[in-house]
Amino acid sequence: MKHLARWLARLYPRDWRARYAREFELLLEDANLQWRDVLDVLWSALETRMNATPVGPRILNLASRDVPGGYELETEVEYPLEDGRVRQVRGFCREIDLGDSYVILNHWSRGGEPAQTVLIFGKKGEVDGDYRTYETEMLLLQIDGTVRRTEQTVKTYLKWDAIRAGLREKYRNGMQAGLTPDEIHRRIQTADHLPR
Amino acid sequence: MSDPVLLVLASLAEGDKHGYAMMEDIQRFAGVRLGPGTLYGAITRLEQRGWIRAVKSSEDRRQPYALTANGRRHLEEKLAGLNQIVKTAQTRLRHA
Repeated sequence: MKHLARWLARLYPRDWRARYAREFELLLEDANLQWRDVLDVLWSALETRMNATPVGPRILNLASRDVPGGYELETEVEYPLEDGRVRQVRGFCREIDLGDSYVILNHWSRGGEPAQTVLIFGKKGEVDGDYRTYETEMLLLQIDGTVRRTEQTVKTYLKWDAIRAGLREKYRNGMQAGLTPDEIHRRIQTADHLPR
Repeated sequence: MSDPVLLVLASLAEGDKHGYAMMEDIQRFAGVRLGPGTLYGAITRLEQRGWIRAVKSSEDRRQPYALTANGRRHLEEKLAGLNQIVKTAQTRLRHA
């Protein structure tokens, strides 16, 4: 039965399989399949292929908080892998605006891998109209315990400030309205809300 | 009454369930046996619309789903529409 379940699940598009194949195979194993079920799956797989839309990452949890001088963002995202498994990435970001400079702390872990931490310190300065160019210093706290220090010039869209502010506002409103982070994420994806 | 989307929503109105539990529940309360392909077609559409969501399972590898606030609202609206049809039909039968 496992072989038949796996074969039937493979009839579906790759994106669909990445999200649903594992649980779908278990259902097929439980369901004591009859011939009409096999036909039902064949038809459904064909229909899904004809109407396939890419399945993207799912936001499982998200919390955004304003803190003095900036904000914090905590995320838990599930990314579908090609072999049908999923990988969870947990992240924490804190950005503090110091007026003429800023500090960003990024900390995230993928699946069971050791966490990565990056500390960014940048000076603000306007170049090229709405760009700001920084001499940005990055400290990478590496897995082996050492700290790698890099300096680079990074161009960052000033518009990102407005985009991030808009997104955080939508998340806040969505959470207050009782939506899950993933529902809010899907609404944001389908809405043309980003400032141009 | 065999709309798979409505049947799945009605099944989850009772509480979180994984796919096989939904199939059994729907057969029990509606007398309809949803095929696995039809069931997962409905689950896919419902999740894309944000009417159901996958929840963490503590017991096994089967993936349970829960009704969202929007899903509950949609189900209530659908049932109100169906109720209206039933009432109208009953009234007309009485007067026929």
